[in-house]
Amino acid sequence: MTTVPVVSSSITIPSIHYLAILPVIILLGASVVLVFATALVRTKVTQFVASSVTVAASVAVLVVTYFQWRCLDSSGPSTTIAHAIVLDGFSVVATGVVAVSLLMATLVAHDWALRERIVGAEYQILALAASAGAVLMTQANDLVVIFLGLEILSLGLYVLVAFDRHRHTSAEAALKYFLLGGFASAIFIYGAALVYGATGSTNLSTMSYFLASNVLTHPGLLYAGFALLIVGFSFKIAAVPFHLWSPDVYEGAPTPVTGFMASIVKVGAFAAFVRVLISALGTQIDTWRPILWVLVVLTTVVGASVALLQRNAKRMLAYSSINHAGFILLGIWAGTTRGVASTLFYIVTYAPTVVATFAVVTLVGGLGDENHSIGGYRGLARRQPWLGASMCVLLLSQLGAPLTSGFYAKYSVLASTIDVGGSPLALIALLSAAIAACFYLRWSSALYSDEPVEATRIVVPLSTGIVIGVGVAMTLVFGIWPGPLVTLCQHATLLFTP
Amino acid sequence: MNVPASWYLILAAVLFGIGAFGLLTRRSALIMFMCIELMLNAVNLTFVTFARTLSDIGGQATVFFVMVVAAAEVTVGLGIVVAVFRRRSSTSVDELSELKG
Amino acid sequence: MDQYLPILGLLLLGVLFASGSLVASAWLAPHKRPTDAKLAPYECGIVPESEPPQRFPVRFYLVAMIFVIFDIEVVFMYPFAVVFRQLHVFGLIEILTFSLTVFAALVFLVSEGALQWGPVKYLTPGMPERTSSSTIVRIGRDDPEQAA
Repeated sequence: MTTVPVVSSSITIPSIHYLAILPVIILLGASVVLVFATALVRTKVTQFVASSVTVAASVAVLVVTYFQWRCLDSSGPSTTIAHAIVLDGFSVVATGVVAVSLLMATLVAHDWALRERIVGAEYQILALAASAGAVLMTQANDLVVIFLGLEILSLGLYVLVAFDRHRHTSAEAALKYFLLGGFASAIFIYGAALVYGATGSTNLSTMSYFLASNVLTHPGLLYAGFALLIVGFSFKIAAVPFHLWSPDVYEGAPTPVTGFMASIVKVGAFAAFVRVLISALGTQIDTWRPILWVLVVLTTVVGASVALLQRNAKRMLAYSSINHAGFILLGIWAGTTRGVASTLFYIVTYAPTVVATFAVVTLVGGLGDENHSIGGYRGLARRQPWLGASMCVLLLSQLGAPLTSGFYAKYSVLASTIDVGGSPLALIALLSAAIAACFYLRWSSALYSDEPVEATRIVVPLSTGIVIGVGVAMTLVFGIWPGPLVTLCQHATLLFTP
Repeated sequence: MNVPASWYLILAAVLFGIGAFGLLTRRSALIMFMCIELMLNAVNLTFVTFARTLSDIGGQATVFFVMVVAAAEVTVGLGIVVAVFRRRSSTSVDELSELKG
Repeated sequence: MDQYLPILGLLLLGVLFASGSLVASAWLAPHKRPTDAKLAPYECGIVPESEPPQRFPVRFYLVAMIFVIFDIEVVFMYPFAVVFRQLHVFGLIEILTFSLTVFAALVFLVSEGALQWGPVKYLTPGMPERTSSSTIVRIGRDDPEQAA
């Protein structure tokens, strides 16, 4: 019988690279400051103050990522806090995407909160905390840290989903999201426990060295462990068959929250998923590839075909995001450096597009956030050419039309799949994109329909307008001129690759 | 008396299975919470058992984090349940059966 | 055996304290025979004919939730206390940062009035009000003859 080692008299405090964890500190710090402000200031904290703090925090994180990138250039990637946190190109770029998503989503939510007369800083507090969780997930090099990041992200989002007190669906969606999210978290951490038992560590790099240097005589425990990890992640990224929560939650949540969720969860969960599968379990690629193959096929095809049947804009976008999740998985399935780079490129371009899309949906939804049928978009571009054209561009980008960022994103994941002999898989994914094109085009043509519709003019508030403008600009710039971003993503490699 | 580690692991797996089964079959939100808690506690047992067999303190430290996460989840979950029930002005969990997904 | 001595001492202390309190309260309290009226939930008014409904106000759940959170934070304090001396200043700063974050939550709760007890109508303006007419209707339906 072995005994648990007694704590030795001297403890070596792990070295901490503060630059690496500064983004998390800034986001959580801003959140705590807002909590104190809400509690101690006699009058209610105004939306303007709360949003300004959030915007300042996300800009600060962007500045920090710039310095992190320069630090990487000079001294190379590194791990810190007992190898639990990693600072590499991948984490820096993903952190930047989280900050951009937070920035854009906050601006949209600001106008939404003014419209719905929501007082107090609670939305911003939770959004900041959730973003901190997402950043932690992108940097985590330990299954426990990934779990903590996942929970910080999810717990914030559960409450945000329930934020709309005027609609029944909001709280019900939150309950559904919570129950299935909690289930997914439990599955994830059980998988982590089994992998820990099989490899002796929860640290991804230690795990990777162990698996590279040892041959397991009884790999059952390990396989069970990482099957559970994959199931846990699949729930979070809403891969079919674990997607059932997604349409209901997208529909029930307040629209700005849906946009925030769609971008930030994808960034955090995919970054961690890439790190677990490629960095830690890269040597086992032949084992997890078939599982991912099935996931990709189901996710792309089901996502695209069920989206065709939807009449609600938010539900349709939910299925569209499921379809996108399938495409992002393609890059992971490839498992190569190029695959990782294309996954990152997909995430970087998808996040701002989806936030901007939901910004338009927020505006069209109108007071009370109720009006989300596709019919509401009829002739929008005739009445308000700028808003309609922006929506059209954003939809075409999600479709993957040339000259938008979505085209190159889809192209690069498909190319990296074909590189490693996944032509059938690429073909199936392409087919699903063709199915998806039907509903994106149907929606876009509705925007330009001639039918006279009784509709009031939609007022575009300043900050939401800026977000839509920036989203469209990013879509077009990265679509026409993807070179620099592609180079960036190719340089943003993982620290540990097999 | 020396109980082999595998017994603990099997117990944990059974507990986890009961939790997962209950979560998928029960219609009451509160019982579903309990099932999630049961699953997380099964995970704790697994971590402690492995920490002991591997002589690694890391597994035991993980349990602290899982416990805290479980508590935070319960709080948020109960908050959401209270929000749903207030709206329906009834504490009957049967009315939630519509929500099951 | 020696190492179990403190535990034995603690057990003894616990038993002594518990029995001591019981004895002291029996000895010091004013001696009055409980009557039926005194054992009733309400010392005046209508004699209850059925068990009171087993429904707790939402506030109990709220307080329970708050308790669970603050209770579990202590989990981190124990390992810290064990290695407090080895961690030096670093550990102190860490635990203070942690406590500050938890304290922020407490301050927030106090400011939101989550820890205030009192008449429910002041605390939750959204609750359906219990008016005199609804109460009269209920009594009248239960036992019309007695009410008349």
